[in-house]
Amino acid sequence: MRGKVAIVGYGRTPYSRLKPGQPVLNVDEYIAWAAELALEKAGMTKADFDGQGLGVSHAEVAHTVNWSAATAENLGISPRALIRGDQGGSSATSMLIRAASLINAGVIDRALIVGADTPLGMPSVAPGLPLSPERTRGVYWDFQGPFGVMGATAQFALVLKRYMHEHELSVEQLGKIAVSNRYHASLHPGAIYRERFDLNDYMASPVLSDPIRLFDCVPIVNGGLAYIVTSAETAKKVSDRPVYVRGFGEQNNHYPGSRVFPDLTETGFSQSAPIAMEMAGVEHSDIDFFQPYDDYPFISMMTIEDWGFCKKGHGGKFIEERNLHFDGDFPLSTDGGQLSGGQPGGANGGFMPLVEGVCQLMGEAGERQVKDAEIGGVCGFGGIPYGRPGRSCISVVLGAEA
Amino acid sequence: MSIVPNKPLPEIHELTKPFWEGAKNGKLLMQKCSKCGTVNFQPKPWCIECGSRDMPWTEMKQEGTVYSYTVSRTVAMNYPGWKEELPVILCLVDIDDGARMYAQVKGVDPEDMKVGMRVTAIFEDISEEYGIPKFKPL
Ligand SMILES: [Zn+2]
Repeated sequence: MRGKVAIVGYGRTPYSRLKPGQPVLNVDEYIAWAAELALEKAGMTKADFDGQGLGVSHAEVAHTVNWSAATAENLGISPRALIRGDQGGSSATSMLIRAASLINAGVIDRALIVGADTPLGMPSVAPGLPLSPERTRGVYWDFQGPFGVMGATAQFALVLKRYMHEHELSVEQLGKIAVSNRYHASLHPGAIYRERFDLNDYMASPVLSDPIRLFDCVPIVNGGLAYIVTSAETAKKVSDRPVYVRGFGEQNNHYPGSRVFPDLTETGFSQSAPIAMEMAGVEHSDIDFFQPYDDYPFISMMTIEDWGFCKKGHGGKFIEERNLHFDGDFPLSTDGGQLSGGQPGGANGGFMPLVEGVCQLMGEAGERQVKDAEIGGVCGFGGIPYGRPGRSCISVVLGAEA
Repeated sequence: MSIVPNKPLPEIHELTKPFWEGAKNGKLLMQKCSKCGTVNFQPKPWCIECGSRDMPWTEMKQEGTVYSYTVSRTVAMNYPGWKEELPVILCLVDIDDGARMYAQVKGVDPEDMKVGMRVTAIFEDISEEYGIPKFKPL
């Protein structure tokens, strides 16, 4: 399916931390705003999606069980195919794969894919615990909450601690990712935190759950994102800079080694990245920039390893040796990532690597533009299974040429 | 603001009841597949190795090894009642001949925690009928 579909529009609303003076919009308004931005970019209207595809990502604040159909109703679009993204931070990329498959099968020609959330507006009993019912019920919660699992930071800290037990990795090496992301955020008007910091600031940020510190964690925001994917034929007609989906790979519920005692230092990207790169017909050296799902710097680092940019266990050294800036030899998270950009709900942060990849390949990244960018690697990483990281690991290779 | 319990308590279902009852009686129970012998945890509807639904709750050894640990110094995505107990040492414990589980380790200084540390189960009541396993260094 190399080069059969292309992205011709993307949109990303300004984000809000609900600080005084910032807009208070609901999730439907954010979806409409993001869709409007994507449609404008593609030179399309909502009417172009009647009889086509509409993809809708899960929202923490989703107010009905028929979330994708309710979104179609709110937007006044009558799609032939509804695509629902419920794979957390890999929802955006999973919907890209589903849409590409439907387009390739001739069911639809194009799809509008949207995702928004307003987690900061939710009632909360504790920091970061919005009362979304599925968070605090069922066997999954019963065997975590009462056992003292303090959310994603603690869950990922367990993975990082194990990695550091098995491999050489310094806190400073991870800090370099956080500092570089913030540098990129300073060049990106859409990022929520734009004031630069250095390694000393990073080291001075408080440890929340050993060894993860404050500057390792994504800030939650309200906001929305969208993109439009269509057949290569239509893409050529409507856009002079379509961004082609060169390859993709997906691995869900990956167990490295045993199902009972899995090896936590490997993610499903070890499976999905080689498939994506083979479909795309690219080598590591062809990739001009890399947008991992950076909910924590060490997830970026493990994703780099599992994509095969370096050997397992050498990620820290790789980061130390490479220049991660947009004009360096390994441009990483060029929009500031989620770390400095903000995460609009657990299911929608995954739009950001994809949207930034498209932005770069359309040559619209402004001050942070990667020169002559032709090939980009982007990732989706979603959901936290019991005792492991990353339920869904999706790898996508985008190209300026098919 | 709605009233929430100080610390989260599990909802007890038929599937998981033996685990909580076992802990009340000082036992660590996990589902062991009668077909392939795989120990499944957290509780599953069928064996994640072979798909058999015959997985009787079976008493496990009470010793294990710390696969990893973290020291939580703040409460996030859990109930505020944990605050009194900070720092909370959360581990992934590999139960000998069992499975891996999330659990607190108590009775040890956070600075003395180590990956690979041997631990043994202790049990705390969460109600008249149910308990929860935690661990302490061997
Ligand atoms: Zn079995």
